[in-house]
Amino acid sequence: MDTSDAACSPAVEWLERHGDALFRYALQRTRSRDVAEDLVQETLLAALEARDTFNGRSAERTWLTGILRHKLVDHLRRTLPAQLADGPDDAAPPDLFTRQGNWKVRPVEWTGDPQALMERAEFREVLAGCMSKLPPRTASVFLLREAEEIGSEKICQDLGISPTNLWAMLHRARLRLRQCLTMKWFGVRPKSE
Amino acid sequence: MSVLGRLKVLSPCCRDAARLLSESMDRRLPLAERVGLRVHLLLCGLCRRYGRQLVFLRRLVDVFTKSVESPASPAASELSPEARARIRERLERN
Repeated sequence: MDTSDAACSPAVEWLERHGDALFRYALQRTRSRDVAEDLVQETLLAALEARDTFNGRSAERTWLTGILRHKLVDHLRRTLPAQLADGPDDAAPPDLFTRQGNWKVRPVEWTGDPQALMERAEFREVLAGCMSKLPPRTASVFLLREAEEIGSEKICQDLGISPTNLWAMLHRARLRLRQCLTMKWFGVRPKSE
Repeated sequence: MSVLGRLKVLSPCCRDAARLLSESMDRRLPLAERVGLRVHLLLCGLCRRYGRQLVFLRRLVDVFTKSVESPASPAASELSPEARARIRERLERN
């Protein structure tokens, strides 16, 4: 088949120019290369269909990411409820409190500016490492809330879980991330840094 | 009973305060819990610190997820050549 037809070229060009970025976006939020690849493909196909709606005002990358975001949320809506029905995947986070309910280890002050820290490659690596240690479903739910900034009511509706469940998952995710970042960065660096 | 003693009775323990701090990022707490948390934070520097960390964390995750598209991203990984070829082939069928 002759594939040099001009009609197909935009999507192939998008793949060249934005494929990796879209892939990383999807991979970070799904933790599955297979799923991320599928989402990239679906996104580019949908973009091809909707190409007339691209008004050129938003950058191409932003437009494509917007489509991917919809695909991603759809995907999580379809797959997460069944997985969550199997029960939480982070049933036993380390207990940070004594039996009386006090902190076992006193929280240390986190110093620095978030934006500035994120410009340091070593810190980004630490954060990526801590994120990747979250149990996968917990991570997906956490990112729906924090990265896609979807309200908790909406998440509960979409995923068919109770608010109590959701809050507990988010709480555990935050405890874990905060613990990991303290151990790998904030708790082991001299204050001056 | 001293004022401090009275306040302590109203105050949840750190375990519960940490949970309420997290919940308060996802919903408006009911009055009783909001007051309990307030009282606890008034008395407990460690939980105030934890509260600041949660805000810090939210900011970090925000920057982190928004920067994922850039090649310098921590999650730097690329489409495999196979996947790229497969997607390309599929796109060319359209």
